[in-house]
Amino acid sequence: MAELRERDAKILMTFPVTASSHLLAEARARGAYAALDKALRTMTPQQVAKEVLASGLQGRGGAAFPTGRKWAVIQYDDGQPHYLCANADEGEPGTFKDRWILENSPHQLVESMLIAAYALQVRHAFVYMRGEFSAPFRRLQGALDEARAAGLVGENILGTGFGCDIMIYRGAGSYVCGEASALLSSIEGKRGYPRNRPPRLTVKGLYQQPTVVNNVETLSNIAWIVQHGAEAFKAVGTPKHPGTRLISISGHIARPGVYEIEVGYRWRQLIYDDCGGMQHGAALKCVIPGGISTKVLTGAEIETLNLDPAEVEPAGSSMGSGGMVAIAEGTCMVRLLQVMLRFYHHESCGQCTPCREGMGWLHRLIDRIVDGQGRLDDLDMMARISRLQDGNTICGMGDAAGYATLGILAKYRHEFEHWIREGRSMYEGNLECRRSS
Amino acid sequence: MPQIFLDGQAFEARTEQTVLQVALEHGVFIPRLCWHPKLSVAGNCRICVVQVEGRSWVEIACNMPVSEGLRVLTDSPLVREHRKATMQFITLNHPVDCGICDKAGECTLQDYHVAFNGEASISREPKVQATKFHRLSERITLDNERCILCTRCVRFTREVSKSNALGVKNRGDHSLIRPAEGDDVRLLDDDAYSENIVDICPVGALLSTRLLYKERVWYLQATPSVCPGCARGCAIDVWHRKPEWKLRTLDARHNTAIVRVTPRDNPAVNGPWICNKGRDLALLLERPRADAALRKGRAVALDEALAAARELIGRARHPVALVSSWGSDEELAALDDALGDRFTCFVKDDHLPADGEVVEDDLLIRADKNPNGRTARARFGHQALQFAPDTDLVLVWGEGCDFGRLPRGVPVIFLNAFLAAENGHAEVFFPTSVHTERDGHFTNADGVRSAFSRCVDRPTGVVDAERVFRALASVPAGVAP
Repeated sequence: MAELRERDAKILMTFPVTASSHLLAEARARGAYAALDKALRTMTPQQVAKEVLASGLQGRGGAAFPTGRKWAVIQYDDGQPHYLCANADEGEPGTFKDRWILENSPHQLVESMLIAAYALQVRHAFVYMRGEFSAPFRRLQGALDEARAAGLVGENILGTGFGCDIMIYRGAGSYVCGEASALLSSIEGKRGYPRNRPPRLTVKGLYQQPTVVNNVETLSNIAWIVQHGAEAFKAVGTPKHPGTRLISISGHIARPGVYEIEVGYRWRQLIYDDCGGMQHGAALKCVIPGGISTKVLTGAEIETLNLDPAEVEPAGSSMGSGGMVAIAEGTCMVRLLQVMLRFYHHESCGQCTPCREGMGWLHRLIDRIVDGQGRLDDLDMMARISRLQDGNTICGMGDAAGYATLGILAKYRHEFEHWIREGRSMYEGNLECRRSS
Repeated sequence: MPQIFLDGQAFEARTEQTVLQVALEHGVFIPRLCWHPKLSVAGNCRICVVQVEGRSWVEIACNMPVSEGLRVLTDSPLVREHRKATMQFITLNHPVDCGICDKAGECTLQDYHVAFNGEASISREPKVQATKFHRLSERITLDNERCILCTRCVRFTREVSKSNALGVKNRGDHSLIRPAEGDDVRLLDDDAYSENIVDICPVGALLSTRLLYKERVWYLQATPSVCPGCARGCAIDVWHRKPEWKLRTLDARHNTAIVRVTPRDNPAVNGPWICNKGRDLALLLERPRADAALRKGRAVALDEALAAARELIGRARHPVALVSSWGSDEELAALDDALGDRFTCFVKDDHLPADGEVVEDDLLIRADKNPNGRTARARFGHQALQFAPDTDLVLVWGEGCDFGRLPRGVPVIFLNAFLAAENGHAEVFFPTSVHTERDGHFTNADGVRSAFSRCVDRPTGVVDAERVFRALASVPAGVAP
């Protein structure tokens, strides 16, 4: 039985965005840096880490790994340097939720990073920001400058003797640098190649030192957790997946944008009430739930689902990074997959064989189908390539492209077969949502 | 010592080992392309996949640490499926032009293609085209289409030769191995070990420019030898034409020529590397050769030259020998036995560092450019060359002697392998063999004794120095005729 409680708790989007709402003065008026003060003055690093572990906070970058467990690997008092890195290389297509935090609530991230740095005893923390982010960079740099001037970043924060510097490192436009280990290689000045595990990054990460890499949204929850306590956090969302999620919704939706929803929120309600339904009143064909690397769900499938990993995963997909794409009826899934595979081909780093060769293979294969030269057994070949990439690559990108391909192939195979047989699209190759006449 | 199980069989492993290392140590075959015992783990080729029992997925063996009781399958159906798929991925854009590839016959990819795939390509797409014959340095040509981006060469220049000469450019299936600094080929030109990347390349992407399209490996035979280029004495293989594939029509020199030199793994001396000078051994040993014994510059039969030398030695009261530091342990012993107590012996450096040559580094290259100086000096002492005023005969063995510095008017017996003006200035001259034409041993600067074998026959007219010394033995002192 669906829960009746109205799920509308907010953790991050708690204020109206104005021209000055990102500045320190207004952030302080909203209570920013109180949690930092509380952590530094009344808690030990261990207590902070324990609080985060107890909160059940999970990574918001896509893999949903429990943050507290990641932190627990780091021995905060082992005497060696540790590093903290905020992953702001928001490159998953369809995802732009971290951008909202960086632009509108940068102090929440700065404060949270300082608390995390305190818990992990980090002297130097980094923000790896995607190169295309111009406004977010200016906003976050501005916030860091303000915080430094106010004695909140740098030496002797709030007079407690704890010091931490936060540096922004801007990427150069590589998707794969959003993968935690490639991100660290990039900060080190190396080519953005993901690294083999073991060793885990929490054992040997940046400059071969224990390193925690967390998503911007994940980190931004820390201040709230410290301020209100783990119990309060667990009361939000569902017991298994506590908290809220920022959902960046785009595609053929009437009101695209970033929405904060409590985990367990009704999917229908988000799309039809909050976002105003599809453009031009079109019917919903399918939804990519969390970045294009998650498997597509049809409109019928999400009808009864709540936005809760415990429901989305049994349905065969995942909440991923929260980059939701709503696709209207009348969209050509063959063209859509072609666009996605062009992206993956372009962004494969080329390090390990299955992804380097497989992405190009899939891309050329679908190009040939779109050119009208496809054959029916090409679809089995695409499925085979996707399946054999899965789990045999250094990072998750090989898997991701495979999921995307298998998801669309499984549910819309008839569109591909139509194109192959008839030599043209079932929907005139449409990627736009047109006003019905 | 954790115990692990490979295909059900128990093996003792060391804690720091990976599954791949344990398997190779115990002779369990796991294929690998990017993994190299002396380089860091890249884990990018994905051919070494294995399956941990009970898991439904595969993992790479080269990066899998051992743990007590780990049970690994190296040849399960899932592993075979993934290996086959990996071979299909690797050969997707590889031209498979083995017919015209210099690496064919000794190519890891070729072997694995037969072993794990063995089918024609299942792809209908055109292959990605890339640069052919890219000049990576003076010595090395790169075929980007054959390259499988295992990055062994990149890691070699970073971790072993430390020239940091190479890197990967572009992304995905457009990735190219290129000079790390712009298009500057000088970094690799200056890398004294650069040609090792041709050996460690598991495919035919990196090619020796000098040998491009010159030879097929199956016509060649590798004879174990020792590099005489410096006091390191690296173990090498000297590649020359197999006798059964002897050419009957072209120049006969093709049949005895040193086609190429590759390192032969000897952990005590050089590991799997040699320097570029060792690769160029042919330039050193195939200079024009002396092939006739001379008496005052006139060609004579060997016996006549030996008789003349015996007479000179017989007459001499204070003879001096300049001993070659290129002589083998056996030759040095023969000289010592035959003439050691008659002659005052000085050890001579046959070769000094050439202009522009790397004199010494901390990897392999030693400053002493002679292979056997240690044994020679152990036998004949370290004293510097000094002619007593009563010196009445000089025996010079090998190169590197300035005849102008010899005492005037004193007769010279000269043994040398190569054509030189000095050959005719000597009273008696013997044309000697080089070390690829006989068996023997060199002892390197660290005291490691290595054997070398005869690769090719001696040219006609050439004699081993050892035979000359034995023939000159037992000439009594001071018997004037």
